Amino acid sequence: MAPLKYLEQEYPILDSNFQNFCATHGIFSEEDLLLHDLHVLVAFAEQQSTSERLKQGITQVLSIIDGQHQPWLNGMELLEDAQLNKHVLSTGCEGIDLLLEGGLRMGQLTELVGASSSGKTQVCLLATSNVAKKHMGGVVYLDTGNSFSPQRVIDFIRQNSDPAIDQAKHRILQKVMNRILCHSVFDIFTMFDVLHQLEVNLRSQMQKGDCQVRLLIVDSISSLVTPILGGGGSQGHALMASAGFLLKKLAHEHNLVVLVTNHTVGGEGGISKPALGESWKSIPHVRLRLSHDQGSSIYNVSVFKHPSMVSGKAARFTIYD
Amino acid sequence: MEEVVASPREWIDRNESAKTMLARVLTARPLLLLPPLHRVPLRVGNVVELVGTSPSAKTHILIQAAVSCVLPKEWNGVHYGGLDRLVMFIDLDCRFDILRLSKMLKHRINGESNGSLKKIDQEHMDFDLWNNDTKKSPTYDEELYSLCMRRFLFIRCYDSFQFLATLKTLNYRIRKEQELHGISVHILMIDSIGAFHWIDRASTFMPLGATNRKTPSLQTVSETVVQEIRKLLLLHPMLVIATKATIFGDRYSMETKRNLGKLDTSNSRSMSSTSLQLPYREYMPSVWQMILSFEPMTVIARSIFQNGCSHHRVLWINL
Repeated sequence: MAPLKYLEQEYPILDSNFQNFCATHGIFSEEDLLLHDLHVLVAFAEQQSTSERLKQGITQVLSIIDGQHQPWLNGMELLEDAQLNKHVLSTGCEGIDLLLEGGLRMGQLTELVGASSSGKTQVCLLATSNVAKKHMGGVVYLDTGNSFSPQRVIDFIRQNSDPAIDQAKHRILQKVMNRILCHSVFDIFTMFDVLHQLEVNLRSQMQKGDCQVRLLIVDSISSLVTPILGGGGSQGHALMASAGFLLKKLAHEHNLVVLVTNHTVGGEGGISKPALGESWKSIPHVRLRLSHDQGSSIYNVSVFKHPSMVSGKAARFTIYD
Repeated sequence: MEEVVASPREWIDRNESAKTMLARVLTARPLLLLPPLHRVPLRVGNVVELVGTSPSAKTHILIQAAVSCVLPKEWNGVHYGGLDRLVMFIDLDCRFDILRLSKMLKHRINGESNGSLKKIDQEHMDFDLWNNDTKKSPTYDEELYSLCMRRFLFIRCYDSFQFLATLKTLNYRIRKEQELHGISVHILMIDSIGAFHWIDRASTFMPLGATNRKTPSLQTVSETVVQEIRKLLLLHPMLVIATKATIFGDRYSMETKRNLGKLDTSNSRSMSSTSLQLPYREYMPSVWQMILSFEPMTVIARSIFQNGCSHHRVLWINL
């Protein structure tokens, strides 16, 4: 947020007289204006000799503030945006798609919770291959544990393809794999860097046809956040909340599906519960719990939380090797 | 206008009787009977807080109240019983799903026009959230639907500064919308008020040069929010409903589960507010707690399995 003196160029009414007046009340930047009672400021302005000009300045500043929040929309406009832009992307896994009534919804943050080797990364890789191939969208994969496997993605792509001509296959495969971008991130600050860069790229890049990013995966977000939680300070929770907001903002503004994975920790009575604590619970839109039957390739998925579904709904699916 | 009191007797004489005063107050600030909050004596100018863990059906309650507010009292001969007013929704959680509102509105419109009212259980003060009634009515009033959808005004904020900017310019916005629609705003919904709590709490700003400069912190932001809401309520009397998610739930969750186990759906009369202790740690600063008109209302959602399919029921306990 800009200090007041930089606004003078664009809005000449905020001249040095106005800035001095504001300085006497401890207002030097737009942030200070937001924390100050503007009616009180107007009352003080009345007492000055240049009151008219000062009041005009305050009105100007108020209209600048009006441009600093998102636009107000009514229900019909929201609905149109949801119907036009926020489609559902199938994950490539019938069980999950059936449970989620179509698949992962764009504009929403979906969380996969599960113990280790419960299939979270498998589902992520499956979704990656499906989005890159069937929906022809770009995928950005943030890998925190070196679990991204291009070979596995190729296996998934090959599984569902029709027996087509071999020559074309290689080119198609290359095209599909080119849509997937994998970043290795090992701490939360690197993740913020990558996400901010992604935001800049998405904002500047208009319709690029084939390669518009559709899916953002963070596998796993808990390994980035858990080291900084705890210790009594609130910085860890603040970073976690900021990460949540950034992911949701990316999902909504750029119509992405955002998928994150989380592990489980022991709770009361030996029942495992999702990691990252109570504050994280209200951040994702949809929370799914994955579990794996030992020794088989059958996975169970159930709904923890969903905006329009009762929690507890479950389904089974298989991932073949 | 100077009025010289002629005699001390005149000064002691009453201005109006209690009856006339009551009549005046009740018409000036009528009770808002908003299902699902129709049991709470809500008035325009009140600030209400709904507290619950996530997921409990807090946003659902807000959506239901919004539907009741935007529907007109009567339309094309069908009685809807709504308040016929605008609703403003500030989404701080950034999780609002417009399709839920749309579905609920359609369901309400269909339900009324088909003459079948959704049954609200009076005894338990709970109701079916997810009505599994999927039979679609062939025609519903499209015009009414789009009119009501346009009465729902929505904004989302990604940080405290955006929230403050929204509140500061809300006065002008409300005036503009009232001119546009011709009806006033009755409810301001904030979902959820504690969304930026951790971020604000951790924001440590360096002490800035001038001594009278306010540094953005949890305290200053909350004070400004409360101040703006108070000023807003003076200019535009409306009901403010805020939801809040519990943050420190872990220690008390076992306690909660044990107490909930005692609740018997068939034995509603034994349920009293004293038998249920549902502690959650209050984390909002005291300036916010002081603006509330009632104690925060706890929302608990429980899944109950009935006839093989699960229904989601909500119980509130006013602490």
